[in-house]
Amino acid sequence: MIQASNISHFYGSEQVLFNLTFQVQSGEFLFLSGESGSGKSTLLSILSTLLNPSRGELLIDAEAVGKIKNIDYFRQSKIGFVFQFHYLINYLSVYENIALAAMDDKKENINKILDELGILELSSRYPNEISGGQRQRVAVARALVNEPKIIFADEPTGSLDSKNSTIVYELLQKAQKNGTTVVVASHDMQIQNYATKTIRLRDGKIL
Amino acid sequence: MIALKAIRKNPFKSLLIFSSITIAVMAIFLISSVSQGVIGMYSKMIKTDGDIIITQKGISDTFFSNVDISLMDKIDKLEYVSSSYAMTVGASPIGHIPIAGIYGTTANHFSHYKLLNGSYPKEGEVILGENLAKQFKTKSIAIGNKNFEISGTYSSEIGFEEGGVVMNITDAGKLFNRSASFILVSSSSPNEIDGIVPKISQLDGEIEVKTTQNFVKEYNQFKIIENSSFVISTLAFAMGLMGIASVMSMIVNSRKEEFGIMRALGKSRFFIIKNLFFETLVMSLSAYLFALILSLGILAMLPHIEMLQGYVNGTLSLATALYVLGSTLFMALLGSLFPAWIASKTDPILLINQGCA
Repeated sequence: MIQASNISHFYGSEQVLFNLTFQVQSGEFLFLSGESGSGKSTLLSILSTLLNPSRGELLIDAEAVGKIKNIDYFRQSKIGFVFQFHYLINYLSVYENIALAAMDDKKENINKILDELGILELSSRYPNEISGGQRQRVAVARALVNEPKIIFADEPTGSLDSKNSTIVYELLQKAQKNGTTVVVASHDMQIQNYATKTIRLRDGKIL
Repeated sequence: MIALKAIRKNPFKSLLIFSSITIAVMAIFLISSVSQGVIGMYSKMIKTDGDIIITQKGISDTFFSNVDISLMDKIDKLEYVSSSYAMTVGASPIGHIPIAGIYGTTANHFSHYKLLNGSYPKEGEVILGENLAKQFKTKSIAIGNKNFEISGTYSSEIGFEEGGVVMNITDAGKLFNRSASFILVSSSSPNEIDGIVPKISQLDGEIEVKTTQNFVKEYNQFKIIENSSFVISTLAFAMGLMGIASVMSMIVNSRKEEFGIMRALGKSRFFIIKNLFFETLVMSLSAYLFALILSLGILAMLPHIEMLQGYVNGTLSLATALYVLGSTLFMALLGSLFPAWIASKTDPILLINQGCA
């Protein structure tokens, strides 16, 4: 479960999030929606431990994120990410990109996940040798490899056509149905068809 | 493994880093080596041929010194003196060569110059250093206002001498209007050298007598060369090392996005710094070795370039090579690891966004 209490954030002197308080139950599919500049990407970064909030407290599975000693291990073992621009490392092959994220005891999952996502035959290729849709599936595979408790996705279909977008949403929904909490920030209202909960932001506040 | 992949997968970027480090290290090597080589050649010339040197009192440069050659008879009679020879050093235009070293010496020192052909010079004759001889096909050459027959060609381990002319000390005396620039004395007993010095000093009030070891240490020209070479080498060294540090720093800054992704995937700061350390080590070590090989090659070629007449020579000592190695690795690692360490403390999403900017 994710518990956000009075989360505020500033970039310099500009406040972008204002005292946000909410909960996300385990196994939910949360859709963070809002216009550009509404603060949804900043909130997603804070929820996913990639950014420390200026104020407020974040609990994940009852652990205060600000007090976790080994945040790297926490992130690797409990959280998966899917970014808008996939952010694969260009000098590593598909397999190596996923292996980079995988914990030692989860490396055996790599081929199984690649197979499930229909990209096993791409495992030795490099990111610049595959299509945008394939790259995003690799990014999803990388997010799933450690069987995380929560997957965060920031505009995961922002650079994809509708066919590939649907594939990505279905993959995220499948993970949610297997018990993973999914949090997606996006402009794309199509996600409402998959989400179990929606938080709408405007100017850094929950509507 | 990841470090090697990063190097191999970005060949152009890797080549740029490699070239920058190579050029910086070569600049350090060549400037330091050539400066040291100039001093090394002259001090070798003096040190290897005698234990004691006699110059004119109060004259700091051997080129302007004038010592009475007749002192040699008295010196040779002193206890523990095995031999002595006199030498006049000067420089003059020779034919189309604007300037070349001229070494006038007593006949007992001719054997120092290894004769390649012909015979040692009699009065009115000269022998040419191997490098200089390549530029003259004539049987005689004009030095100053006098013509000298070329009686042979010699080689020498000392670059200065390879590009110069050796003649009889009497001819050199007439040419430069002095008896001798200095007299070098060899002792039959190394333990008695310090004892011979005051005895020679008593022979003539117009001379200055020193052991060659002390002379080399105190010689003003060496101090000038050493000081200027120290300044130039230090500047080259600092510029080279700053170049290495700034190249590595720029490369690391251009990879902030990659580090942000790794942190987002749960990779520790230690993991990122360890890989960068290895990557920098491989890159800087291979560039260093390449620069060392190229520098040694260039230094080996310098004495054989006719245009330089053997005057530009280089000595690369093991101590310099090791010092440059240590400094190169230190600066490369400092240039890469310091910004990486700073970056590793930044929130991953900020690193990713900075990388995109």
